[in-house]
Amino acid sequence: MLRIVIPSTRFALSGRSRLWMSVAILLALTVSRASAQSATDVQTGKVLFGHLCVTCHGFDGAGGAGPPLNRAKLVNAPDDAALRAIIADGIPNRGMPRVRRTLDSEQRALVAYVRSLGRTARPSTRGNAQKGSELYAKLTCAGCHIVKGQGGTLGPELTDIGVQRGPQYLRQALVEPAAAFPNSTLRVQGPGYNEFLPVRVVMKDGAEVRGIRLNEDLFTIQLRDQSGKFHSIRKSNAEVIRKETGVSLMPSFAGRMSEAELDDLVAYLSSLGGA
Amino acid sequence: MKRPMPKAQSPKPRAQRPTAALATAVLIVIASAGVFAQVSYQRLLNAEKEPQNWLTYAGSYKSHRYSPLTQINRQNAGQLKMAWAYQMQRAGVVETSPIVVDGVMYLTEPPNSTVTALDVRSGRTLWTYTPNVPPDVIVIGSPPVNRGVAILDDSVFVGTVHGHLIALDAKSGVVRWDTTVEDNKHGFYLTLAPLALDGKIIVGVSGAETGIRGFVDAYDAKSGKLAWRTYTVPAPGEPGSETWGKGDGWKTGGGSTWLTGSFDPELNLLYWATGNPAPDWNADNRPGDNLYTDSVLALDPATGKMKWHFQFTPEDVHDWDANETLVLFDAPVNGRERKLIAQANRNGFYYVLDRATGEYLASSPYAKQTWADGIDAKGRAIRKKGISPSLDGTLVFPNIQGASNWFSPSYSPQTKLFYQAAREMGTIYFKGEAVYKPGTAFTGGGGRAVNGDVASGAIRALDATTGKMKWEFPLLSPGWTSLLSTGGGLLFGGTEEGNFFALDAESGKPLWDIQLGGAVRGIPMSYSVDGKQYIAIAAGVTLYVFTV
Repeated sequence: MLRIVIPSTRFALSGRSRLWMSVAILLALTVSRASAQSATDVQTGKVLFGHLCVTCHGFDGAGGAGPPLNRAKLVNAPDDAALRAIIADGIPNRGMPRVRRTLDSEQRALVAYVRSLGRTARPSTRGNAQKGSELYAKLTCAGCHIVKGQGGTLGPELTDIGVQRGPQYLRQALVEPAAAFPNSTLRVQGPGYNEFLPVRVVMKDGAEVRGIRLNEDLFTIQLRDQSGKFHSIRKSNAEVIRKETGVSLMPSFAGRMSEAELDDLVAYLSSLGGA
Repeated sequence: MKRPMPKAQSPKPRAQRPTAALATAVLIVIASAGVFAQVSYQRLLNAEKEPQNWLTYAGSYKSHRYSPLTQINRQNAGQLKMAWAYQMQRAGVVETSPIVVDGVMYLTEPPNSTVTALDVRSGRTLWTYTPNVPPDVIVIGSPPVNRGVAILDDSVFVGTVHGHLIALDAKSGVVRWDTTVEDNKHGFYLTLAPLALDGKIIVGVSGAETGIRGFVDAYDAKSGKLAWRTYTVPAPGEPGSETWGKGDGWKTGGGSTWLTGSFDPELNLLYWATGNPAPDWNADNRPGDNLYTDSVLALDPATGKMKWHFQFTPEDVHDWDANETLVLFDAPVNGRERKLIAQANRNGFYYVLDRATGEYLASSPYAKQTWADGIDAKGRAIRKKGISPSLDGTLVFPNIQGASNWFSPSYSPQTKLFYQAAREMGTIYFKGEAVYKPGTAFTGGGGRAVNGDVASGAIRALDATTGKMKWEFPLLSPGWTSLLSTGGGLLFGGTEEGNFFALDAESGKPLWDIQLGGAVRGIPMSYSVDGKQYIAIAAGVTLYVFTV
């Protein structure tokens, strides 16, 4: 902590004025120190981000399987204290792990870097969100996805998808759905488990069920089929339980849309959420 | 907080139970004398002779977690049903192993090291005691769990999350003495069930993640005064200090002692295992083997003097504490009967040593491991290159919480098998800086578990003398399940998904299972009362008791 001493002989000011001047100088010094500190922090934070965060949040925080961070407002981190808490502890069972314990100084640096991403203008997505919205309707995406309460339940809800995933990830999900598979952000099965995992079961009596895994324990598995019907299966009654890892029930749109249309659809999806 | 004590149960009138003359006589003696049945050291020594009770954390000083009771067995396990349940008073992670003494169950509850006495017939509370744990208690390295109590004479002993050892009157839960083991402001805390010996209560501490210097303590059971302390990290000049480099890394060297040890009264040796060196993932300031971290120590119970030691993971940079339960059994090795001590270590290897001398006899990996090319003839791991934590992360098996951890294995004298739940998971280990500030995390990195569908677990039955697998029962995920084997030929275990089940201890075939609605982190045990056998297990925040 800096201490400023203003010799009263050089400034013929009242006690009260002297006090205010001291405060003003102190404030000015504090602010300039803070921004100098902050610039170093941003650099340190960028390096740390490269080691610990880039895998999910993408280069420059553009987002990926994890939310884009290059925006002024972060839904889960309205202020720096909240952001720091998330960096320190992760968001348990919501897909954000604490990669490792971080020092106070490292947390400060990461906060500084992430906030700096939000201050730079958000790179405009190439497509047109309005056209994308029309495509979403035309392609009947709502048959399987809910946006703001409207749509089907076979696939994940997309109401907030724009703040949950980065544009590159969303683009990949459209052309190669199985490569962009969400891992447990829904808190049912636990961290790291594939969500929307198709499972095919053949019972000992020959009956066959194929559906999305909703939950599973050692002796039972719970599925929801394409018609929305629940199936409760005792594993010992099944002949075959095939988890179709790497398979998505979502059709690929590769070759079915022009590049411009893909851009539009990604722009629309990126615009969803955070309201 | 104490609840009013319910009326004591009175024994049934003699006239109604003419055939149970002996039992009635015993009850009358107890009732007429007006005293609680004392749990003498002699009773603890001979715990296996009273299978209706469960007198120590692991069932006996040998830490077998084996019940000789046979009433629940392979033939009738399918008929197991709930007898009663007890809801913990507060939410938290329940890792307790109840003990049962003459009709009373003593268990502990999170998060503030609560001790509760229950009527084993009904599950109703007899008394409950919660220590005055300050709201700013420092618990870094685990959730604020507690694994159980010890009993000796007429007192129950509990280690607390704020670093105290407290003796309670077994009849009322009233405090007899309350000793500060070490200052919680520096990160010391207790989660283990203490071990009661002849007039002494042995405890260890948690806290390596805050850079403590670990120790094993013995307290006088009557007064609570410290009898001896043995540090797990030597000071400069002491044997082993040469394994810490020239700096002051030893001062914050870790070596926690957070799980209950075992005891051999004939050899008069107390066995206690030690945890990771600190900081966990950065060895820059502690070059060397870091004795006596990640080791088993054989101590003289009278003085705490170290008779021998064996280190499992020298210069650990993966947080592979060696605190796992130490199981004592005798068996022939190469034609010669040996007194053995075995452990399924967090580093993925199962070890067998001679418990008289510490001589290394055998080892075998019981889970996937990618850090060692094997174990040499003296028991030292042959480390691979490129396994250290790094800035961008290094994938290594086992995972950061180990192939094993605090959860109890079981050894059945009937099958001669060592049962262990194995965690099949890798971790991407990161190295970071560590700055020591008392009572804050001092870990130097961390790790991201490679979990979910790509991780798994298994219950493995190992030949106890070699570690070779006899059978396995696959688990959906890497669990935290303790195991109980019984004279009825059963093995009980659970899953993170809430299943509790009985397997055939010979073959691993599942015989019974139930969904308990919460992860099974409790430690199973068995007792009998009124001629009926029960199995107790905590899942989620509920203790369930089953019978046939």
